[in-house]
Amino acid sequence: MENSPTLESLQAALDAQQAVFEMHQAMNIEVFYWWCTAIMLMIHAGFLAYEMGASRSKNALAAGIKNILAIAVIIPAFYLFGWWIYNAFPNGFVPIEAAAALPWSASMGPDVQDMGTGIFWAAFALFGATTGSILSGAVIERIRVSSFLILTIFLGGVVWIMAGAWGWHPDGWLLTKFGYHDLGASGVVHAVAGFFTLGVLMNLGARKGKFINGVPQIISPHSLPMTLIGLMMIIFGFFGFLGGCIIFNGGETGWSTIYGTPTNLSAFAFNTLMGFAGGIIGCYIATRDPFWTMSGGLVGIISVAAGLDLYSPSLAFIIAVCTGIVAIQFAKFLEKRGIDDAVGAVTVHGFTGLAALVMVGVFAGGTPNIEGLPAISFTGQLIGAAVMGLMGFVPGYGLSLLLKKANILRVPEACEDIGIDEVEILAKPYPEGSVPAMTAMTTSEVPNKLASSEA
Amino acid sequence: MGSSITTWENVSAYFTFADNPFALVLFALGAAAILVGLIISIIRHENAAFEKIK
Repeated sequence: MENSPTLESLQAALDAQQAVFEMHQAMNIEVFYWWCTAIMLMIHAGFLAYEMGASRSKNALAAGIKNILAIAVIIPAFYLFGWWIYNAFPNGFVPIEAAAALPWSASMGPDVQDMGTGIFWAAFALFGATTGSILSGAVIERIRVSSFLILTIFLGGVVWIMAGAWGWHPDGWLLTKFGYHDLGASGVVHAVAGFFTLGVLMNLGARKGKFINGVPQIISPHSLPMTLIGLMMIIFGFFGFLGGCIIFNGGETGWSTIYGTPTNLSAFAFNTLMGFAGGIIGCYIATRDPFWTMSGGLVGIISVAAGLDLYSPSLAFIIAVCTGIVAIQFAKFLEKRGIDDAVGAVTVHGFTGLAALVMVGVFAGGTPNIEGLPAISFTGQLIGAAVMGLMGFVPGYGLSLLLKKANILRVPEACEDIGIDEVEILAKPYPEGSVPAMTAMTTSEVPNKLASSEA
Repeated sequence: MGSSITTWENVSAYFTFADNPFALVLFALGAAAILVGLIISIIRHENAAFEKIK
């Protein structure tokens, strides 16, 4: 009898098991976001290949170094002030107390008791780096690296995360007042970065030779295959990005959206893949162009990302196909107005991001939020879309205008003629002269040549 | 010199200078200064490079 368990010993064993379970659950959360962050780096590998390929060979390394440095400056910027902005500004422009998110807080470093802050900060820092890469591709072959880095620090460390605090935070005012729903960051990342880019492009101007007497010309990329592979790498990285958009809760809750409503990775899997496929088909139908066909995969995912947890997969597919077709018209519209977006970033990210927000209102209006918050509505999504567009465009236009006035926005004309690699980078991408498909590409159809699809 | 702990018992934040907010502010300012310095150095490098092709 003396070996029989007592009530107290059973309770102690149960408590020990509970402690083990909770520790492993916390570790699982860390492991999940660790790998999401690692996979997100593939987005940047993809953007690197894509931008270098889309450049002419004389600017290939300049495009690459700009992209590499963007990640390197956005990460510390996000540590120094981005994370604090996210935590301090859910109510608008007036900060709330968020001292724990300041870079000199004891919470912002290795802590045995905190298994969440670092891993969430890392995922958000990579979201911020994505905004920088979105800007990076559009401005290739004529922006100065210095001014690009100033712009990208502002976009990746301040602008998008302010929008994130408003629309991608459990207490963000767009959610609490309008029931805003933007699960996969179509608005807070893509639309903001896309319209920031539009503002910059308006001040930066087109590449020399892009428009002759107002007529858009073909500027051949030096490696179309590299751009296609890069785009597929971005798609791969999106699985990390979207994984970082779900909340892995402890306790009995399981997965939830960032808004506290239930969801799961199965929902994400259905609609991410159906959106991806639909976008490719839509852009292929509209252009028959390889670059735009592959970009369509991005268009498709972004078009359904805002409502990734809510759509029926067939509807997601249809939304992505239709958005792909309409997005091409938007790209043509921009080009006709003299905007030289070298990789279609304003269309793929800006236009599609806004369209995605509106479509959540159209198709998922009436879906409840958690108790006490307004339901998703068309009006709320429309307001959110307008806020995201302006939140991107106004700072992008304003800061790039200042840089233009200071005469540091664009490289000199002579540098553009010679090539930025030769003048500034002091290295050659193909020192032995074996530029991929150099002779063939000069006469072929090329990325972003929307005119070719009108035939 | 920078350790913020003397034992692993009941430890929370344990990184270097976690118990010294003044040092952490200095490090943050130093990191920010490096970013600013990087931009300035790139502007100088660009200006020098562009000067050569005038």
